[in-house]
Amino acid sequence: MSGSQTDDVPKGPTSPARRVRRRRRVDYAGYLYIAPAILLVVVFFVVPLVMTAWMSLHNWPLIGRIRWIGFGNYIALWNDQRFWHALGFTVYYTVWATIGLLAVGLALALFVEKPRPGIGFYRTAYFLPVVVGFASASLLWAWLSNVDSGLFSPVAQWLGLTAAPYNLLADFDAAFWSVTIMVIWKVSGFYMIILMSGLQAIPTDFYEAARIDGANYRQRFLHITLPLIRRSLVLALILSVTGSMLAFDQFYIILAGGPQNQTLTAVYWIFNQSFVSFRLGYGSALSMVLLAILLVLSLVQLQFLQSREDRR
Amino acid sequence: MKRLTLLAAVTAAALASAAPALADSFTLWVRADGSTFMPKIVDAFNASHQTKAELQIVPNAELVPKYAVAAASGNAPDALSLDLIYTPSFAAAGQLEDMTDLAKSLPYYASLSQAHLSVGTFEGHIYGVPFSADSSVLIWNKDLFKQAGLDPEKGPTTWAEIRADAEKVKKLGPDIYGYYFSGNCGGCNIFTFTPLIWASGGDIFSADGKTAKLDSPQMRDAVAFYQSMVKDGLVPAGSRTDTGSNFFAAFATGKIGIAPSGAFAIGALNTQYPNLHYGVTFLPGKTGGWSSFAGGDNFVVTKGTKKLALIKEFLEFAYSLPGQTLLAKYGSLPIRSDIAKEALAGLDSRYLVAAEAMAKGKTPYSVVFNDLINSANGPWNTTLNKVFFADAAAIEPALKECDATMQSIIDAAK
Repeated sequence: MSGSQTDDVPKGPTSPARRVRRRRRVDYAGYLYIAPAILLVVVFFVVPLVMTAWMSLHNWPLIGRIRWIGFGNYIALWNDQRFWHALGFTVYYTVWATIGLLAVGLALALFVEKPRPGIGFYRTAYFLPVVVGFASASLLWAWLSNVDSGLFSPVAQWLGLTAAPYNLLADFDAAFWSVTIMVIWKVSGFYMIILMSGLQAIPTDFYEAARIDGANYRQRFLHITLPLIRRSLVLALILSVTGSMLAFDQFYIILAGGPQNQTLTAVYWIFNQSFVSFRLGYGSALSMVLLAILLVLSLVQLQFLQSREDRR
Repeated sequence: MKRLTLLAAVTAAALASAAPALADSFTLWVRADGSTFMPKIVDAFNASHQTKAELQIVPNAELVPKYAVAAASGNAPDALSLDLIYTPSFAAAGQLEDMTDLAKSLPYYASLSQAHLSVGTFEGHIYGVPFSADSSVLIWNKDLFKQAGLDPEKGPTTWAEIRADAEKVKKLGPDIYGYYFSGNCGGCNIFTFTPLIWASGGDIFSADGKTAKLDSPQMRDAVAFYQSMVKDGLVPAGSRTDTGSNFFAAFATGKIGIAPSGAFAIGALNTQYPNLHYGVTFLPGKTGGWSSFAGGDNFVVTKGTKKLALIKEFLEFAYSLPGQTLLAKYGSLPIRSDIAKEALAGLDSRYLVAAEAMAKGKTPYSVVFNDLINSANGPWNTTLNKVFFADAAAIEPALKECDATMQSIIDAAK
């Protein structure tokens, strides 16, 4: 995107002919070094990607005859209300999950940033849920939120918050927030680490100077802390948006897409089309579209990071 | 990407399992539900025959994808014990060998389970023959009935009786409930809820499975019946979000008066909860009569296999009286009505109710059964989950909408 300008800049006194020869030799060695990595990328990314694209142009049932249909799947997809609805829900979830993750992650990072007695315990405690698998965490919360045999409903009743057993997973809002809060509990420790490293890179002189100039905590946070951890924030943002757009496990395990399919995510819909309806070709087409959407989203975010950088 | 990872995993599993087959042996797969009775019958067959069956057990949810991958690479098993509702879609995909001649050559062909054969038949040819069986029944807790002042030996025979009994049981305590069903489980409800409609004279599909007709007076009545029990607190709150994990477990806690269940529960309750006293009866219609969902596995053969003679030998062993007795002992109901009583002799008498239910049981026919019914996100489950826990005014529009959605899925598959 940028960077192309630097290629035109002359690179010291080497003559053009020698430069080319030297470069070529270096290139060969370089390719050799990265060959294992390239092999991995080709086998596990490029080949499946090309195969997915190829499958998306077919009526490809899990069992039975495969038939070329050109862009038929993409046309069907355009009119597939349920996919667009699932995508809409995924965006809704991404927005709230990202806000929650960054806010809680930043708050935790501010709390554990400075060394003080017992801080090791807090850092470990906040990071611990990150090492739990998503499926295990989901199963744990599925049990905790079970109205008959779980924990939340009886506790709420015991505390007098609800008069009768309350089924957390039965209505959209309660179910959605149960899952989203679970995700924030599980993943915010990871964002805490990213943001903490950003915070620790800020020289303390800045704060001292500001303090001498009479800046209060709010001003120091807004005008020193936030601008200087922007790069960590953008990294966290990209990771959170990409991860949330691909959400599947938690909604599959805790809610099975319920209540009444209101929490079907895009990946869930792809899974359903491929392995419940056995339409692999259509599932591939959906995957390609989701990939394109994610690519655009990531490019936009990277662009944002880059343009701000250049201005500096 | 996730999908591809899954596919890759399945492929790897299929490749790893492709063992060289012996000359006079054939390969056979079964889903995990059959992991009790299938190894027993295979062992008994292998011990007494020159021919050997090589059995592999596959997790329920992976059976279809795994078979599909194996078939694509030419490594499909010779035979497969397949959840019978999948027989039409497998046959429609041209994956199965025509078994019409084999089936009709059996002297007891006429007494084989009609429900299995009806879904095993596609365009006039038989592609699947009955193998294992499980019928839906109603079970009640005799201890709770006694405490509630009801006759512990008499199960309900109409919807009104179910309701009246459930009300009395509910009065026993705040954590005891009259009735239980898994309110967010399409598979559970096709198994136990549709018989209530069938027994009342209704149905959910046309006979050829090509027209959805859920919106019928019988269906509306049955939904209203469940709805009123939910509204009056006879059903635990967890029912609404139970995706099937409590289908058996809820009744086993001993705090549920009445629950629709299956023949499988008899064996499971007897072995795991020997102190729970329960009775088994038929799933009744609104004002009497009864019906049942005939479930279980059909035995199908992969198209192009050269082992048909060996497979026939195995089937004849499974269909014989010793075979049927062995299957019954390990939890599968007999699928031959002419020797069912003999095969069940000496077993818990409650099996006889389930066997009778099986003999008169029905199985809905559809090539897109998974999409329509079993999928947690399909129209059947979504609609029932909505109407069971809504109010009376919601029933008719929801059923009409469900019919339209189902019809569009059926039409798209043509």
